Formats: sequence, C-alpha cells, structure tokens
Amino acid sequence: MGRIAVTGIGSFLGSRLLRKLVELRGSQAVVAVDIATPPPALAVAHREVDLTEPASDQHLLDVFRQEGVETVLHLAFFTNPRRDSSYAHELESIGSLNLLAAAAAAGVRHVLMRSFTAVYGARGQNPNFLTEELPLSPNLGLSWVRDKLEAEQHAAAFARRYPEMKVTVLRFAPLFGPGVHTFYTVIFDHRVVPVLMGFDPLIQLLHPDDALAASLLALDQAPGGALNVVPSRPIPLVSALHLAQKIPVAVPHPLAQLSADLLWSTGLGDAPGGFVDYARYSFVADGEKARRALGFAARHSSRDALSAYLAYRYPRVSAGQPEVAV
Amino acid sequence: MSESAKVVPLGRPRRARQGPDTDDAEARVRELEQELARLRAELEGGAREGLMVALARLLQAGPGALSWENLARAWSASYFSWHSEDVDDFGYDKKFTKTILPLFEFLYTMWWRVEALDVEHVPAEGPALIVANHSGVLPWDGVMINLAIRHHHPARRECRMLALDMFALLPFLAPLLAQTGAVRASQENGERLLRRGELVGVFPEGVKGVGKPFKHRYRLARFGRGGFVRLALRTGAPLVPCAVVGAEEVHPVIANANWVGKPFGLPYWPLTPTFPWLGPLGVIPLPSKWSIDFADPTPVDDYGPDGADDPILVNRLTQEVRSTIQRLIDGRLARRRSVWFG
Repeated sequence: MGRIAVTGIGSFLGSRLLRKLVELRGSQAVVAVDIATPPPALAVAHREVDLTEPASDQHLLDVFRQEGVETVLHLAFFTNPRRDSSYAHELESIGSLNLLAAAAAAGVRHVLMRSFTAVYGARGQNPNFLTEELPLSPNLGLSWVRDKLEAEQHAAAFARRYPEMKVTVLRFAPLFGPGVHTFYTVIFDHRVVPVLMGFDPLIQLLHPDDALAASLLALDQAPGGALNVVPSRPIPLVSALHLAQKIPVAVPHPLAQLSADLLWSTGLGDAPGGFVDYARYSFVADGEKARRALGFAARHSSRDALSAYLAYRYPRVSAGQPEVAV
Repeated sequence: MSESAKVVPLGRPRRARQGPDTDDAEARVRELEQELARLRAELEGGAREGLMVALARLLQAGPGALSWENLARAWSASYFSWHSEDVDDFGYDKKFTKTILPLFEFLYTMWWRVEALDVEHVPAEGPALIVANHSGVLPWDGVMINLAIRHHHPARRECRMLALDMFALLPFLAPLLAQTGAVRASQENGERLLRRGELVGVFPEGVKGVGKPFKHRYRLARFGRGGFVRLALRTGAPLVPCAVVGAEEVHPVIANANWVGKPFGLPYWPLTPTFPWLGPLGVIPLPSKWSIDFADPTPVDDYGPDGADDPILVNRLTQEVRSTIQRLIDGRLARRRSVWFG
C-alpha cells in the first residue's frame, strides 16, 4: 500500500491526524511534508518542503516519487486571518497549485484537501442549508477566504483534467472544542463580545473528533469531489455567547465593519472587517452528501462542541462547582 | 394536577391488577405519566431565574458582587429564561415562541377576533402547502394563520411560514421570524421542510401583495412565477388555498414613499393614517375583524415530480389556486357588513 504524505502538520487538524494515522497504520505509512518538524516520538519520515518557494512543485514531485506516495493529505491552510496576506496567498493558493501539479505528475491516487464552509460566503440570499453543488460566492475583499476559494478552484480544475487522480475537498465548519485555539475561539474568550445589532445568525461549531472521523473516512474511501463536514445541528450566535456567559454588545453594522478594520490594522482586533458578514448572515452547510458518500454523521451538535470547549477552557465553572456566591 | 401526578408511580401496579376496567385505568395512568414527564421537563427547563431575580440577588449581595462575571451570568440566566438552549436547524425556538404567544393570542382573540372556517381542510399529517393572500404591510397574517390551525385543527399542527426576503433579512425582524418558526422563502428551504413532512405556508403574491395600496385591497396580485406550484409538484404536497380577510385594513396604505426605505434596503415605505405620523405608535395595527377560510386541498401527486418542468401545467395550477382564493375572499367580502365588526 502506498504512503500518505501530510502537509500542514503544524495545524491543529494536521497534528491530530498525523498522530492518528501513525496510530492506525504505523509510522512507516506516513511522510510529513512540511517546513515544521514532526514530533520525534512519532518516528515518521520528514521531508522539508516549503510550498511557498517557486520551484516547490519539482521538489514535491521528487518527494512523492522517492517516498512512494499514493495519497496526499493537504492541510496547509491558515485557520486564522494573517496580517501578511501575501504569504498566506503564496502558501494556500499557489502552494496548492504546485502541490496538485506535483501530485498529478507523480501519479498520486488521491488528494484530500481541507477547506472551510466559509467559502460559500455568508449572504442573506443563502438557502438555510448550503449544498456542495451551489456556486461559491464569498466576499472577495477578504483575502483569507479568497485564498481558500482559489485553492478550491485549483482542486476542481485538476480533478477535471486528471480524472485518474481523485481530489476530495472537505469543507469543515469552524472547529470548536478541546485543544482548539483559533480566532473563532478567541472571540469566545473575551468577556464582552460585539455582535451585529438586529442579527442573530445560526453558526456551526464542529467538534474536533467529528472532523477527525470524517477525515479518516474520506482517506479510506477517496470519494472525490467536495463534501461538507458539519455538526449535527447549528446554534444561534447570541445563544452560543450566552451559553458561554459572555456579554454580547450590539453594534450597528456599518460601524462594525469600520471598527473591525481599524482594530485589525492597529493590531488589536482578532479579524479584519470582512468577517463581519459571517456574524450577520448564516453560512450553515448541509451534511447530507457526506452522509451518503462517506457514511459520516457528526456525533456532536454545535452546542456539544461549545460545551466541550467551555469545559476544557474553564474547567472550574463547568465541573458543576457551586457558582460564585452571589 | 400536581397532586394526582405525584401518586402515579405508586398507583400503577395496584391498578394494573384490578379486573374489568384495567385498560381504561392503564390508559389514564399512561396519560398521567406523560403529564408528569412534561411537568418535570418544564420544571427543569424553567429552573433558570429571570433577569429581575438575578439582578435582585446581585443587589442584595452588595457592590462587591458586581463583577463582569456575575453580570454575564445574570444576563445569561435571563436570556435562557425565555429562550431555549436548543433550537431546531432552521432556528425555531419553541420556548421563545411560547413566551411571546400571549401577545399573539391577544391579537387573535381580542384584537382581530379571528374567525377561522374549514380549518379541517388542512391535512392532519404529511406535507402540505398552505397558499394564502398576503396583506397588511407586516407579516401578521402568517402568525394568525398559524394560530388558526393551532386553535381549531384537531391535529394542532404547526405551520412553517416561508417569509419574504424583505422580512427574513430585515434587522431585528429576521431573528424574530426565525425564532418563531418562519423560514426565508426559497425553493431549497421549502423543499427541505416539505420532505420532512411539515406543514408549510406561502404567500405567492410576495411584496406586491403585502405592500399594495389600500385602493387595491382584496385584489390578488400576480402569483409570482408559480414557484410554489413547482415546490408542491416536486414534493407531492397538496395545495391548500387559504383566504385572509381583514388584514388589508390593519395598516391601510394611503401612499408609498419608497425613496425613504431605499437607503435601508426596504422595497417600500408605506404611509398609513398612523405611520409614520404617530412614531412608534404608528405600527400598532388597527383592530379590524378578521376571517381566515381554508378551501379543499388540491392534490398534485397525480402529475408526478416531472410536472414541475411543465410550465403550462404549473401556470394552470397557479391560476386555479389563485381563483379559488379570490373566490373565497369575494364570498367573505359579500357577507361582511363592517370592517370592524364583521
């Protein structure tokens, strides 16, 4: 059986999956392809490749051929928005292009790429459940999501051009749970959280265990195409904030975008103003296709994921201890 | 109620051993047990205290207790005293709906004195599409149709209303609609609800109906492009025509000043005898007398899902439903003596 190359091993999902794959298939079956070094305890082969370097496709091709790679697990994507957006663009859009080109040339059987349900875009006109065949129309002013969209477009183009290579794209809902630290969870760490006045979108929070289970199923079955990986049930944003005992403060929408951009550019904010849309309208994705294609059904709802995160983040409060004497 | 509920667990084995009316008694026990379970669930769900109690506790504990943490806890407690922690996947919050139900009930029974006729035409189970005329500037007619079915239909079904974009995307109204069970009108959403076997309500006139000037009252506007018929054909859900009379008079639109609404993304800005002249009081609807009539359902399953691709068939069914509703309305209007007293 061919080996699995994993990129993005420094990410939360990457490190968890690398560990899981070593556990399931042995360290011989896995090659870490990353500028980051895998934990020595895992004893996996490490090939240092920088996806942002111009000749990375040739380099990757050599690696894939030498290591006998049959499956590529491409997880080198930033969950958090970055201030140096040009680096993110080189890694995510151009890096994915190079990786796909190398995989196709090396005769790789299956490329499994991570993506985000945010690529659908948060729009008022969205149906309540976004299905995979809908066109992707995110806010292109937001470089974070534009890079993800471009990576998806490259993946779709390669899938068309090289039918013998399966390309599976997993669109994960925002991860939320024990061990997750993203700008999304950081928002839930503040005491006072701004929300948009008059809006309360449904959000999806995906428990890491479900993300892991779906990834492993997709690795086994190589279904090809895009699949949403979502929790069993969404939760209203304001409800989620109150469950976390945060104080939501309503901000008028035009002001929110402006102040978020201002805070972001001064280094204080968690995310640029382009993300305001995601607090305004729902971008709830439908998990039915993954159920049919992979037999994957999330075991956790968004509320479960939130509770699990809160229990991990605030163990004292969640352990059912008496609340602070009032 | 609570006393009889308390004896249930003990009473059961004794009653089961008795002879002739065992079945009767057992049914009663089951009934009481269900009641007990319901009460328990209610007690647990309602155990959170309201904002006032939480604030009173805070004040009682003195200024030392006024921390962000305690404030957030009090706020959270008050929020969940009238919101559910678990909503359905369209955002329908049953607890919130129950909280504001008294207001709707007041409007239904006292303010508009709604008279519902032939509600039993609504199928007791399975998917069905209620098609109604739209009027009254604000989507009150949807709420009242829902209540009419809950009050008078033997199955007490809930009807999921498909709301126009202008309502479903409007700040403040959008979350309110979602929490009370309405869903943004789209083919995908409607199909999903009907495939689940839900009762769904649509207003095919859309914006043209709800914001029409007073002089055009009770004349149905064009029924969109037959999207609701295609929805019914694809899912096999029967169409139930429904006529609402009385809603046209709650906000008589004398003129439109649409240029006012444009910067806010509103398709129209109505001028009524009370709005905007009386400010917030202007949104209080006038107390006309309402009636809601349901017609025999039109079955569509004979045509099969392919019928949705036949524009001639779609248009024919659309016109059929439209004329049924217009007939119901005209019949009501002919019998109506007064706008306020029916």
